[in-house]
Amino acid sequence: MIVAETKAASNRRLTRAWLVLVGLTLVSLTAALAVGRFESGLAAAAVALCASYIKARQVLDHFLDLRRAGSGWRAMFSGLLVVILGGLMAAYVAAG
Amino acid sequence: MVPAAEDSADWGALSSLPGNPIMWVLIISELLVFGAFFLGFGVARALDVPTFRAGQALLDIRLGGLNTLILITSGWLAALAVQARIRDERRLARLLLAGAMALGIAFLMVKGIEYHSKFELGYGLDSDTFFTLFFLMTGFHAMHVVMGVLVLAIVAWKDTVVNLETGTAFWHMVDLVWLILFPIVYLVR
Repeated sequence: MIVAETKAASNRRLTRAWLVLVGLTLVSLTAALAVGRFESGLAAAAVALCASYIKARQVLDHFLDLRRAGSGWRAMFSGLLVVILGGLMAAYVAAG
Repeated sequence: MVPAAEDSADWGALSSLPGNPIMWVLIISELLVFGAFFLGFGVARALDVPTFRAGQALLDIRLGGLNTLILITSGWLAALAVQARIRDERRLARLLLAGAMALGIAFLMVKGIEYHSKFELGYGLDSDTFFTLFFLMTGFHAMHVVMGVLVLAIVAWKDTVVNLETGTAFWHMVDLVWLILFPIVYLVR
């Protein structure tokens, strides 16, 4: 069992991850409500999917604590995210 | 690495992951299933963009955004609960888990409000391709939220460190799925 981090350090790390998640959500939400709901095109879709990747990584690395697992696991989950989000981006490109 | 005497099961590479390895098998399986769902949604949208745009225009982005904030905050509390339990602060861990569960229930209530408004407008599972996928994907996810709240309740009761790591891992998977579902269903049009 792992108690490498102090209480303050672990709370700070998790709170920082939460703030990143809240910040990215509020930015995308505000942009969607104010600028016209990402109908503006593929660039907006790419930004939204990139934000989704960053948020997913925060959850994987900090909430799920994958940073403690081997690099192979992190690469596997990153690859899975890239396949899903990349596939979605390809579908948006195909739709035009 | 030599396993501890009391931990005789060798899970191979899965042993380096926090919590029970079987939960990670479930998490990977679930991510693959939801991933296939999302890719299917993307392909269906590419084949019929007008129907999807019309359906998405009826969704309330604010409710979807609110539910995103609710779930990520719930995940944060669950992660803090594990750290509290590792430090042997059991009461604090249970309080944090109770907060995570309450937010999970709040998510379901918001989802209920959203579904009700769609039903009142006459939209249901068989209205069109968009709404079929909308209700299937969000409904399947909501069932995982229900299961996640139950799992959190169980690990709050049987609160070993491994149980908390295992139960909250499931909860974070539910959170993770929503973080992909929200932009593709609500935001990108």
